[in-house]
Amino acid sequence: MKLMRVMILSWEYPPRVVGRLAEYTSALTTQLVKNKVETYLVTYHDFLTGLTEESNGTKVFRVTNPVRTHIGVLTWVLTLNQEVERVAANIYFNTNQEIDLIDVYDWHFVPAAVILKNGLGLPFVYSVESLEDHRSPAANTPYSMAIRSIEWLGFYEAKKISVRTEWMRDEIIRIYKVPRDKIVVVKPSTNSWVKEVLALYGAVSGGLKNR
Amino acid sequence: MKHELSVMMLSWEFPPRVIGGISPHVFFLSKSLAQKGVKVYVVTCDFPGAPAHEVIDEVEVYRVDSYKNPSPDFATWVYLMNLNMEKEAAALARRLPGGIDVFHAHDWLVATSGIGLKHVFRKPLLVTMHSTEIGRRDGIHTDTEKMIGETEAWLTYEAWKVICCSEYMVSHVRWAFGLPQDKIVMVPNGVKPHVLGDFEKEDSGAFRRSWALPEEKIVLFVGRLVYEKGVHVLVNAVPKVLEKVNAKFIIVGSGYMKEQVLNIVRNTKMEHKVLFAGFTDDATLLRLQRCADVSVVPSLFEPFGIVALEAMAARSPVVVSDTGGLSEIVDHDWTGVKVYPNNPESLAWGIVKVLTDENYKKNLVENAYKKILDKYDWEKIAQQTKKIYEGVLSEYSKSFWA
Repeated sequence: MKLMRVMILSWEYPPRVVGRLAEYTSALTTQLVKNKVETYLVTYHDFLTGLTEESNGTKVFRVTNPVRTHIGVLTWVLTLNQEVERVAANIYFNTNQEIDLIDVYDWHFVPAAVILKNGLGLPFVYSVESLEDHRSPAANTPYSMAIRSIEWLGFYEAKKISVRTEWMRDEIIRIYKVPRDKIVVVKPSTNSWVKEVLALYGAVSGGLKNR
Repeated sequence: MKHELSVMMLSWEFPPRVIGGISPHVFFLSKSLAQKGVKVYVVTCDFPGAPAHEVIDEVEVYRVDSYKNPSPDFATWVYLMNLNMEKEAAALARRLPGGIDVFHAHDWLVATSGIGLKHVFRKPLLVTMHSTEIGRRDGIHTDTEKMIGETEAWLTYEAWKVICCSEYMVSHVRWAFGLPQDKIVMVPNGVKPHVLGDFEKEDSGAFRRSWALPEEKIVLFVGRLVYEKGVHVLVNAVPKVLEKVNAKFIIVGSGYMKEQVLNIVRNTKMEHKVLFAGFTDDATLLRLQRCADVSVVPSLFEPFGIVALEAMAARSPVVVSDTGGLSEIVDHDWTGVKVYPNNPESLAWGIVKVLTDENYKKNLVENAYKKILDKYDWEKIAQQTKKIYEGVLSEYSKSFWA
């Protein structure tokens, strides 16, 4: 018996480690599977593409970018998202169109989450690891503004926003004027961490179901 | 009206937004498909003053905010614009009770929207390749061009069928992206319907006299003044034509080669015989084409050659260089005259041949007009396109996606 079926979109997952996100998503998926959540994770890898079932029980799909030449991170991200949409749609149709929600990490795969919401009606949680405003403070270049506009789109379209600290919650309210009750603080350091994640998922998908 | 099938057109331009040839193409194709009972939704970029949603002759047009995201450069803008376009298109396709049967994309400018929608809705994607990056730039030289070329390759890979507007483009696209022959279909471009029909010849009218002397024949060139359109070949042919016939050469259009071309005219002392008209409005252009004694299209590279088609529709005889799409539009000695590309002697020979033989000219005009009605009519083009949709849907119905 599964509690629910969740799809996580993250541009980092082991063996691809860029920042702290890989370690976090690995720990999260392990805990979700232990708690009877059927967990799919879509991530990027340059060549380890396709489906693998991880030792922790997570089903991981890795996609690469069909366009090999790029002029910046933006064009790379914006062409990779259709591959994310492709495998996400495959998961959706192969599970009898029963995906309870999407959990998307940072702005990179926000476009895919937004499309899947608008096209298939899947609600999503936008989990924030960092913000462009902190990565490139005071940068008013079109490049930086474009990334901010994608973050804004994610905050606007998400059903809930998940952060790790009260500070990040206040920053999102300050920068993007997001309503306070849309943001949930979930601290990975506490004992009740997984329970809080499950409660958040339950709230977004409209309650826990038995599958 | 009960619709057998519904299609969503994705195009970055649609009237009143007109940047190149895709805008009129999608406009007439959509209207003609609607007349054939196809439900057509067009999703396109916004334009100042144009409504976000309107219905034009049963075609549902949705214009999406295309400047929401600030962008560092044109190519990045295209991909960012596609994010908004795909989002709006996805929301629209989801709320339509009958859904969408086919997605039809036009050029790489809507590649990511088309590819994403195909997979999210599991419906076939078709693409019309109006041009290619490698053709436009005469090779791939920069990372931006390489990225665009790879995006085009990805788009044609994901498409169920690739439509090209000439046999020349079929072989070009096949070569550029290594596609199997049976994946590509040729459906020609059409002429604007308003240029067809009967009209009074303005042979001696005031309009004609404002452009040329009564004793001068009018030789008309219409096109951007750029190298691949071959306007320099025409001005080099001017003295050779004048040895045989008295004529006025009218050049409509603008471009970076204007000064260079003007210099050739000055050096050959032909200023009184060559008139640079710049841009003209559509109505003036049509009147000019209708009173021209010959229209010349001396292009060096031409994927399709719509300008020759429109001259033929306006019952002007045409002299074209034997290259690209022009080779297919014109049949030598039957619907026009074909000359060697980049060869002023050959071009002058063709112009003189048309201007000095009234009967020959009359035959060319009649045959050309018949060919236009037969092959380049939007009603027929829509019929062919609908057949392609139906063929794809029949294959699709046997796939595991159906």
